[in-house]
Amino acid sequence: MNSPMIRVILGHIMKIEAAFMLLPCIVAVIYGENVGWTYLAIACITALLGVFMTLKKPADSVMYLKEGSVATVLGWVVLSLFGCLPFYFSGEIPSFTDALFETISGFTTTGASILSDVEALSHTALFWRSFTHWLGGMGVLVFLLAIVPLSGGSTINLMKAESPGPSVGKLVPKIKATARTLYLIYTALTLMQIIFMVIGGCSLFDAVNLSFATAGTGGFGVRGDSLASYSPYIQWVVIVFMILFGVNFNAFYLITLGKIKDALHVEEVKYYLLIILSSTAIIFINIFRTCKGIEEALRTSFFQVAAIITTTGFATADFDTWNTTCKIVIVMLMFVGACAGSTGGGIKVSRFIVMFRTIKKEMNTYIHPKSVKKIMLEGKPVEHEVVRSINVYMGTYIMIFAISIFLVSFNELDLITSFTAVATTINNVGPGLNLIGPTCNFGFLTPFTKYVLMIDMLAGRLELFPLLILIQPKVIKGFFERRPKVKKAE
Amino acid sequence: MLTINKNKSGLKIIIVGCGKVGSTLVEQLTQEGHDITLIDKDPARIQAITNAYDAMGILGNGATYSVQKEAGIDDADLLIAVTDSDELNLLCCTVAKRVGKCVTIARVHTPEYSKEAKYLKDKLGLEMIINPEYECAKVISRILYLPTAEEVSSFAHGQVEMVKIRLPEGNKLDGKRVMDIGHDIMANIVFCGVERDGQVFIPSGQFILKEGDLISFVASRYDTKRFLGKIGFKTGQVKDTLIVGGGKGSFYLADMLIKSGIEVRIFEKIKERCEVLSVLLPKAIIINDDGAGEDALKEAGLETVDAFVPLTGIDEENVLLSLHAKQVSNAKVVTRISRNNFKGILDNMDLGSVVYPKYITSDAIIAYVRARQNTKDSNIETLYKMFDSKAEAIEFKVESESDLTDTALMNLKLKDNLLIAFINRHGEIIFPGGHDEIHVGDSVMVVTTHTGFNDIRDILR
Repeated sequence: MNSPMIRVILGHIMKIEAAFMLLPCIVAVIYGENVGWTYLAIACITALLGVFMTLKKPADSVMYLKEGSVATVLGWVVLSLFGCLPFYFSGEIPSFTDALFETISGFTTTGASILSDVEALSHTALFWRSFTHWLGGMGVLVFLLAIVPLSGGSTINLMKAESPGPSVGKLVPKIKATARTLYLIYTALTLMQIIFMVIGGCSLFDAVNLSFATAGTGGFGVRGDSLASYSPYIQWVVIVFMILFGVNFNAFYLITLGKIKDALHVEEVKYYLLIILSSTAIIFINIFRTCKGIEEALRTSFFQVAAIITTTGFATADFDTWNTTCKIVIVMLMFVGACAGSTGGGIKVSRFIVMFRTIKKEMNTYIHPKSVKKIMLEGKPVEHEVVRSINVYMGTYIMIFAISIFLVSFNELDLITSFTAVATTINNVGPGLNLIGPTCNFGFLTPFTKYVLMIDMLAGRLELFPLLILIQPKVIKGFFERRPKVKKAE
Repeated sequence: MLTINKNKSGLKIIIVGCGKVGSTLVEQLTQEGHDITLIDKDPARIQAITNAYDAMGILGNGATYSVQKEAGIDDADLLIAVTDSDELNLLCCTVAKRVGKCVTIARVHTPEYSKEAKYLKDKLGLEMIINPEYECAKVISRILYLPTAEEVSSFAHGQVEMVKIRLPEGNKLDGKRVMDIGHDIMANIVFCGVERDGQVFIPSGQFILKEGDLISFVASRYDTKRFLGKIGFKTGQVKDTLIVGGGKGSFYLADMLIKSGIEVRIFEKIKERCEVLSVLLPKAIIINDDGAGEDALKEAGLETVDAFVPLTGIDEENVLLSLHAKQVSNAKVVTRISRNNFKGILDNMDLGSVVYPKYITSDAIIAYVRARQNTKDSNIETLYKMFDSKAEAIEFKVESESDLTDTALMNLKLKDNLLIAFINRHGEIIFPGGHDEIHVGDSVMVVTTHTGFNDIRDILR
C-alpha cells in the first residue's frame, strides 16, 4: 500500500477544504457575524495541517484501485471531520455527534438534518451547510484532480472511487481536463439557477444557498418549511434544475459540443425522464382532489417526484400525509435515484436498465437454453464484468441495508421510520416517512443510530465498495506496512 | 510526484492498436503532455492501459469511420496506426486522411510492403512509415560493425556517430579527469554522457572517469576508431555472425550484414520459413534447427563465432541464449528485448549490448511529434534517448534568428546538465568550444538530462 501517496492526497484535500472555508468567512463579514472568526481559525489550522502533510513528497506516485479507494474514503472522512468543527466550536450545534451528522449529511448530499429550527442558525453556518452540498455533489477528489497537478495516469483510480455509476468514462483524454470540464458545467448550471431564482424575486442569499443544495442534489434549506413558502415560480425553477442535476453529465458535455441530438438520445436520460413523468402522473391523480387547483397539484407532485428521484430531498408538501400509493411511489423513487455520472444518489437508473435486461436475458435462456445474447446499453454491448459488478452491487446493497435496519432497530422505533431512515440515508435523499418525515428531523435519534446512518450516508455516496475495502483487516494492515529494503545483488 | 506539467499545448493524438509499441507510445506521449485517445479491439487491453496512463480508450475497429469519429478524428492532429496488421494500419491511415485533416503514421513491417514503403507513403499520402524490425536491425548492424561498442547510433545523416562504451578494468582512462586526457587522444571527440550506478552525468572537464562507467561520446566514424584504438579497444567489424530465429528482424539484419561482407548463419526451426529465407538470402547459411540446443549451437560454431544475436520471438529465450553464449564464447552478444518487463534484473545480467525495438520505434515517432508541435524557428531532426531515457540527444535545425544565434557559446546562459555536442554547418562538423557561434542554417546536437525540449531555445535558462 502506498501510504505516503495517500497522506499527500489527504493533505491536498485539507488544503482545499481550508480554502473553501474562507467563503463562509466572507458571508460573516457581509452579515457582520462573529462566528466568522471560528471559521477563519479552523481554516488556518486545517490549511497548516494540510501543508504539513504535503511537505514530504512520496517516492512513488503510483496508485492502484486499492489506494484510490482508500484515499477516497479517508478523504471523505477527513473532509467531514474538519468540516464539522466550525459548527461544533461556534456552539451552533453543541453536540459533536450532531455536528458530524450534519456535515456528513451535507457532503454526501443527503440533506438529512438534526436541527429542529434551521432559521436559528447564523447566515455563515447556513452558507457553509449548503456549500458542503455543492462540494460533495461533484466530489472533492474530482476537484482535486482538476486543480492539483498530480502526475501519472493512475489518478483515474481516485475518480473511479468517487464518481457515481457502474463505470467511469472520461469525457476527454486527459483526466485533468475531464475534471475541469465537469466542474465547469457544474458551476455554469449552478450560476444559471442562481440567476433564475434572483429574477423571480428570491433574495440572493436564499438563491445561492438553495442553488448549492440543488446542484449537489443535497436538500438543506434555509427555511424551516424547506421550499413550501417560496413562490410557485421559484418552485418551478428548482424543479427544472433538480431534474437537470440528476442527468448524466455526459449529456451536458455533448450539448456543449453542439451535439444536442446525441444528448437527447442518451438512453439513461430517456428512461430517467420517463420514470419522472409516470410517477408524477400517479401522484397527481392521487393528490389532485386535496389541492387548490390543477397547477398546484401538478407543481406539488412534480416537485416531490423530482426532489426524491434526484435524491435532493426538498419538500413543498408534507408527503407523509399522502395516501399509501403515493408514499410507496416516493419510497420506490428513493431507491431508483438519478442517472449515473450525475450528482444524485440512489442505485442509479442505468443499473436498473442493465438489471432489467439481465432478467429478460435470463428468462430468454429458459426458453432457448443455448441462446447467446449480449446486454446492450446506449447502443453498445455491456461487458460481462460490468454486468457482474452491477449484480454484486445489488446484493451488497441489500445486505448493508438489512444490517443497517437491524442496527437501527435498537432505537426502538416503528418499522416505517426505521426502514425509511436507512433508505433515505443510504440513497442520500434526506427526509423519510413517519417520525422522520419532511416536517421532522433526525435530532431525537440515539448517537449509535446516528453513527450507523452516517456510515450509510458515506457508503451510499461512495457506492459501497470503497468503504467495504477500507474495513478489511488486510487493507488496514497494509496501510502501516513499510516496503522492506531489498538488498541489491552485486 | 507533483511535477508541474509544463505542458504547452499538447497535441491530440489517436493511437490505433495498443500492443508493445502502442503502449510504449502511450506511456511516453502522455508524459510529454499530449491528449491521447487509443483504439483497440480488446477491452481488457484498453482497460489496462487507461488504468495506468492518462489516456482515453475506445473499443472498436480503428479503420472504421464511426470509431474514428468517436475518437475525435475531426480535430485530431495525428493518427498513429501500430496494430499487428500492416493492411489494417494502412487502411486506418487512409480512412483518417479522408475523414480528418490529421497527420498519419503507419507501422508497416512485412518485407514485401516495406520495400515499397516510399511508394506507399507518397501514394497514400502518409507522413511517415515506420518499420520497427528494420530499425532494430539497423541498430544491431551498427553495433556489429563496431563490436567493442555497447551501442552505436548515427546523427547528421551518418556523418557523426554516438558510441557507448563500457570502460574496462585497468584502462588508461580510469581515474582520469576528462580535461587531463591528452589532446592526442581526445581530438575531435566529445564526451556527452556517463552512466554510473544508474545515474547519468553530463561530464564537465572536472569529471573523473572510473572503471565500469558507461561512456557515450560523439565523433566521426574515423575519429571514433582512432580514439578507441588509442585507448586500447579493438576496432574491426565482426567477420561472422550467428543468428537464432528467422523472423522479419533476422531477415533485415542478415541482409544488411551480408551486404557489408559479414558471413551469416541463421537458426530457424520451421522448415518452410527456412526455405523462404534461403531464397531471400542466398549467401546465408540457413540451419533448420531449434537453436536452443547446446549441441546444435556448438556444431554451428558458437565457440568461435565473432558475434551472436538471438532474435527469437521470446525474450526469456533470448536472454538465456545470450547468457549461454557469454559463458562459452568470446563472441559479441547482442540481446533484443521486446517486452522489457523486468528492467532491473536485465540490467544486472551480462547480456552484452541490449536493444529495445519498442523504444527505437517510439523514439522515432516522438521526435516526429515534437517537431510537429513546434511551429516556429527550429525543428527537431533526430531525437535519441540515451541511457534508458534518462538523457536525450536532440538534433535541432536552426531556421531563424533568435537570442541564440551569432553569439559566442560562452556568453549564452545555458541550463545545467546540458551540452552542445556538435554543430553541423552545411556538412562540416564542428565540435564547438566557447568561442564558436550558432548560425542560422546550422544543425545543432544537444545532449541533456532534461526532457521535453522541442525548440533550440529551450536550452537557454
